[in-house]
Amino acid sequence: MSRRPRFASLGRLLQDRRAGWLSLPAGIVAWEIAGRVSQFAFLPPFSAAVSAVWRMTWSGELPQSVAASLTALVVGYASAVCVGIPLGIVMGRYRRVDAFLDVYVTILIATPKLLFVPILFSLFGTSRLTQVIFIYLSAVVVITVNARSGVRGVDAASVEMARAFGATERQVLTRILLPGALPMIMAGVRMGMARAVRAMIMGDMLIALVGMGALLRKYGGRFDAASVFGLLLVIVGVALACTSTIRSVERRMTRWTEES
Amino acid sequence: MITVRHVDKAFPARNGNAATLALHGVNLTIDTDEFVSVVGPSGCGKTTLLRMIAGLVLPDAGAIAIDGRPVTGPGPDRAVVFQQFSLLPWATVADNIAFGLELRGMPRDERLAIADDQIHAMGLRGFERHYPRQLSGGMQQRVGLARALAVNPAILLMDEPFASVDAQTRRTLQEDLRTLAERTRKTIVFVTHDIDEAVRLADRVVLLSPRPGQVVESLPVGLSRPRPEDLDQEPAAIQLKAYLWRQLRGMQQATSPKSRP
Repeated sequence: MSRRPRFASLGRLLQDRRAGWLSLPAGIVAWEIAGRVSQFAFLPPFSAAVSAVWRMTWSGELPQSVAASLTALVVGYASAVCVGIPLGIVMGRYRRVDAFLDVYVTILIATPKLLFVPILFSLFGTSRLTQVIFIYLSAVVVITVNARSGVRGVDAASVEMARAFGATERQVLTRILLPGALPMIMAGVRMGMARAVRAMIMGDMLIALVGMGALLRKYGGRFDAASVFGLLLVIVGVALACTSTIRSVERRMTRWTEES
Repeated sequence: MITVRHVDKAFPARNGNAATLALHGVNLTIDTDEFVSVVGPSGCGKTTLLRMIAGLVLPDAGAIAIDGRPVTGPGPDRAVVFQQFSLLPWATVADNIAFGLELRGMPRDERLAIADDQIHAMGLRGFERHYPRQLSGGMQQRVGLARALAVNPAILLMDEPFASVDAQTRRTLQEDLRTLAERTRKTIVFVTHDIDEAVRLADRVVLLSPRPGQVVESLPVGLSRPRPEDLDQEPAAIQLKAYLWRQLRGMQQATSPKSRP
């Protein structure tokens, strides 16, 4: 008799959504223990990784490389947003533009962007510009494609209504198609950010020889496992911060789609 | 005054379907302040006729003019109320009502003041900041009607506006529209497939033939303004409805392949 309530409370414990808050601390604890117990040299404990981050921060090399990476990210990603959204809207609205550009978009969707790296190398060398273009190429496609399908998804009746009330073509674009496509556009902008962050790291390591990826390569080459894991923590943190910033902007701009 | 002269309209062939002639040789004159219902079997092109008067599509042949000026596109003298409401889901009730004024470049506070008058007149008080999906179908169409009235058009074009709301709400909306018609004296063209609704609302009922649509008959309802409370007691209304029923049934039997021996 006395066991039943305990069983029920265990069930309730397993149902609790707040368990999500425990998952990261649990992983960190497991990492720490594994790092201390195992004799495997390339698995330093969590605490060692954190102190490596601390050391790199104070030496100045980490802030400098984070800034370098983020600059490339911001420039490349911002250009992708500024080109991708209008391009997608125009492709979604005008069949002729779409028919003309569709093949290039399809090619860009299908190919790994790394294929373009040798071409960019030959054009711009191992400069920041190569990396910025690489980030731009990685993000622009998904933003364009999403904006295009967002515009195509806008109810034709809304466009007809606007025309009946005297809307010009420009007003149809800005008052109907842009807001109507906004949920899809913002989803593309968010996915574009994830791709841009990935491209930023790859670009750091392969192209520019500066920034966080370059630092990662430097410490990896020295078999300094604590610093490598510390850098991974920083990169994951930067990626999460970038995507969650975009997500909160997205939520603010598409509030009308939420359930009442 | 709206004049429709010898108007033809065909829809081009698409997806293997042959081109269809929707309207052929349509003639119709609607006086200023007149309330005309357009009825006809489904697919007879009554909505197409309305869209041409709105300027959303142009006739292939013939001409449509308003007070002598040919219709070449939508204009500020006309506003449309749509069957599917066509409200903007991202805009509040107040912004939806003000949308036509926004397109004309009216400053926000001015247009919201006009929207506010319409909100009051339409019984939408308290819903200004709601989004369309938070409203019932009947309320959404009140917003649609308020949006049309906010631009103060001389001509109100209504495309089966009450077809997608429930029967009780429809009756209330009909009564409100009738009151509005008597109060504001606008020219109203009201497309419907509901004979009772056509007779209940309009001063005149225009009957279109099956495709290609043509004006078969133009029948004055012959009831006093303001309308008597209970139409079902009015011999004129009863007779007109019965007559329209017979005509429409005759058209449907003539076109339906099943009825052929």
